[in-house]
Amino acid sequence: METQVSTVEPQKRRAASQWAITWRRFKRNKSAIAGLAIVIAFVLFGTVGTFFAPYPQRSHEALYQGQAGQPPSWRHPFGTEPSGIDVFSDSIWGTTNDLYVAVAATILAVGIGVLIGGVAGYTKGLISDAVMAITQVFFVIPTLLLILFFAKVFQVLVFQGYGLTLIVIILGVFGWPGITYVVRGQILSTRELEFVQAAKAIGASGSRILLRHIIPNVMTPVIVLASLTTAGNILTEVVISYLGFGDANQATWGQLIEEGYAAGLSIYWWVAFFPGLLTVILVLGFNLLGDGLSDALNPRLRE
Amino acid sequence: MKLTKSLLHLRHSGRIIYWAYKAKYKNEIIHRLVRRREMGSFTNYIIRRLLFMIPVLLGITMIIYFVGSLAGNPKDIIRLSFRVITPQQMAYLEHYFHLDQPIYIRYFYYLWDLIHGNLGISLTSGRPVIDEIGPWVWTSMYLQLSALALSVLIGIPVGIYSAKRQYSKSDYAVTGIAIFGYSMPTFWLATMMIILFSFRLGWLPAFGASGGYLGYWWGNWFMDRIAHLIIPMSVLAYVEVATFVRLIRGSMLEILRQDYILAGYASGLKERTIIWKHALKNAITPVLTIIGLSIATALASAPALETATTWPGLGYYFVQAAQSLDLITVEGITVIITVLVLITSMILDFLYGYLDPRVRIT
Repeated sequence: METQVSTVEPQKRRAASQWAITWRRFKRNKSAIAGLAIVIAFVLFGTVGTFFAPYPQRSHEALYQGQAGQPPSWRHPFGTEPSGIDVFSDSIWGTTNDLYVAVAATILAVGIGVLIGGVAGYTKGLISDAVMAITQVFFVIPTLLLILFFAKVFQVLVFQGYGLTLIVIILGVFGWPGITYVVRGQILSTRELEFVQAAKAIGASGSRILLRHIIPNVMTPVIVLASLTTAGNILTEVVISYLGFGDANQATWGQLIEEGYAAGLSIYWWVAFFPGLLTVILVLGFNLLGDGLSDALNPRLRE
Repeated sequence: MKLTKSLLHLRHSGRIIYWAYKAKYKNEIIHRLVRRREMGSFTNYIIRRLLFMIPVLLGITMIIYFVGSLAGNPKDIIRLSFRVITPQQMAYLEHYFHLDQPIYIRYFYYLWDLIHGNLGISLTSGRPVIDEIGPWVWTSMYLQLSALALSVLIGIPVGIYSAKRQYSKSDYAVTGIAIFGYSMPTFWLATMMIILFSFRLGWLPAFGASGGYLGYWWGNWFMDRIAHLIIPMSVLAYVEVATFVRLIRGSMLEILRQDYILAGYASGLKERTIIWKHALKNAITPVLTIIGLSIATALASAPALETATTWPGLGYYFVQAAQSLDLITVEGITVIITVLVLITSMILDFLYGYLDPRVRIT
């Protein structure tokens, strides 16, 4: 009798990492890829593009070239303002500035949100209650009104000349409560899950549970939220500059739209049109990216 | 954990808020289930909610008051708008604003007035803020409410349709249009509509909420209001429809996968009954949260849209007041909007408890 010996070695294959799985699923989602492509294109537009910008920021050069108030043409793809600002050139600088404001404000908001959410999730009793009460207060106040008012008071009167950085701080300071709720909720629910209880039962240390189980579970929604918060911050920044609460010495899309109003919409429509269109596309990109990430990071959708 | 939905301050950050709310409510549900016996009566609950308003209002008035005081004191702001002002008048203003007292004492004077329903006198128009705000609230409200009604009427059926035919061409079209909707700066869309429909085609009025002395559009007073309403309302409605469609679609998809729906089909119920009677009741609960929130928060998110369409509402006047540093009006509008938001969220919680027995308070 010959015993059948299997000649096939048991395959040693490393389990795909979480990020590899996520990326594989992300790649399959066409709209998510489109979102990523839009975001990357705008980042290039705002960084590399500035070297090819025909005019410096806020330059009235076109006025001296006799090109003020021109409709879109090959020479001025987005037209020029009556005051001589080239809209295409300032849109490039606006991309840089808007991306800086949105991304920096998101980093600040996520930082504050995760910190406070972590404190609220890891403490019990009075501290947790107090922290959540403060969060709730920040959650229900009409944030946009406060942002506008703060921008006016600080920008115009107190810290003149800090420009965009001030907007970053204001947006960040008011942007965290949503993230805090999510982080705290994730921490509380993750701690009660069976596998964490099991890890505890076999004697895993507190730091191991935190690093291996809690943080990965908190990270997932925070990444998605960061993408969506960035989209929101771009819109808020555009509103702030459009309403005249921003820094008029910096080219931003909102500032250009506002100048379109001042120039007269019925004639110089291109001044307001193109920056707004860029806003829509970039915000769309971040939204698609966020949705794609939320699908890709969702373990329940795994096939 | 399908991340879909909602709106708050600006449309966009909506989904974040919705998710945050979901996270918040999840804990709340557990919390309430555990402590159901200690929860006490319904009246108790209302009282607790009303008491919660106190720290919120304290917080917001404090923030606004002390930050506002950085901009200068009211006396100097008034002086900016007068060429000649006598020393007696200045002395009176100083007395009126209690400027001889330190700032934290002045804050208590302010609170004392606030408790008595006195929001102060506008620094620019010289009229009591409470009298001025009334019409603004009304103008803002009817814009918001008409847009909301329209978007619920369109959004819910379209969302259900889209969920029923998931991954069909019409579903892709609907979700595609929707995702544009919440990436849109409302004021910019309104501007483009004004350029097209008012300046190019001349069909609709370009600004304001009524024709007034320029003469009525479309005949009479009522049609004139409608004509002015169309652009801002359709822009708002588009953005809200986008939100509701995604919300309803997402929650419908979750509900339609559940066993009781299958049981409904198996026992021979009509599809219409299943969807409109059994599925919708469960699918609508999260949406209701957002609809309710959007009433109040749309008021707060309106400044840009109202400025773009020169709509004389709270948002428009807030921008005017903030630009001219009319601190008293800024404080007044913020307090009013905060109270509206809080009351709405309170009503919302009751409705939530009514629709979802798990959060019902015994």
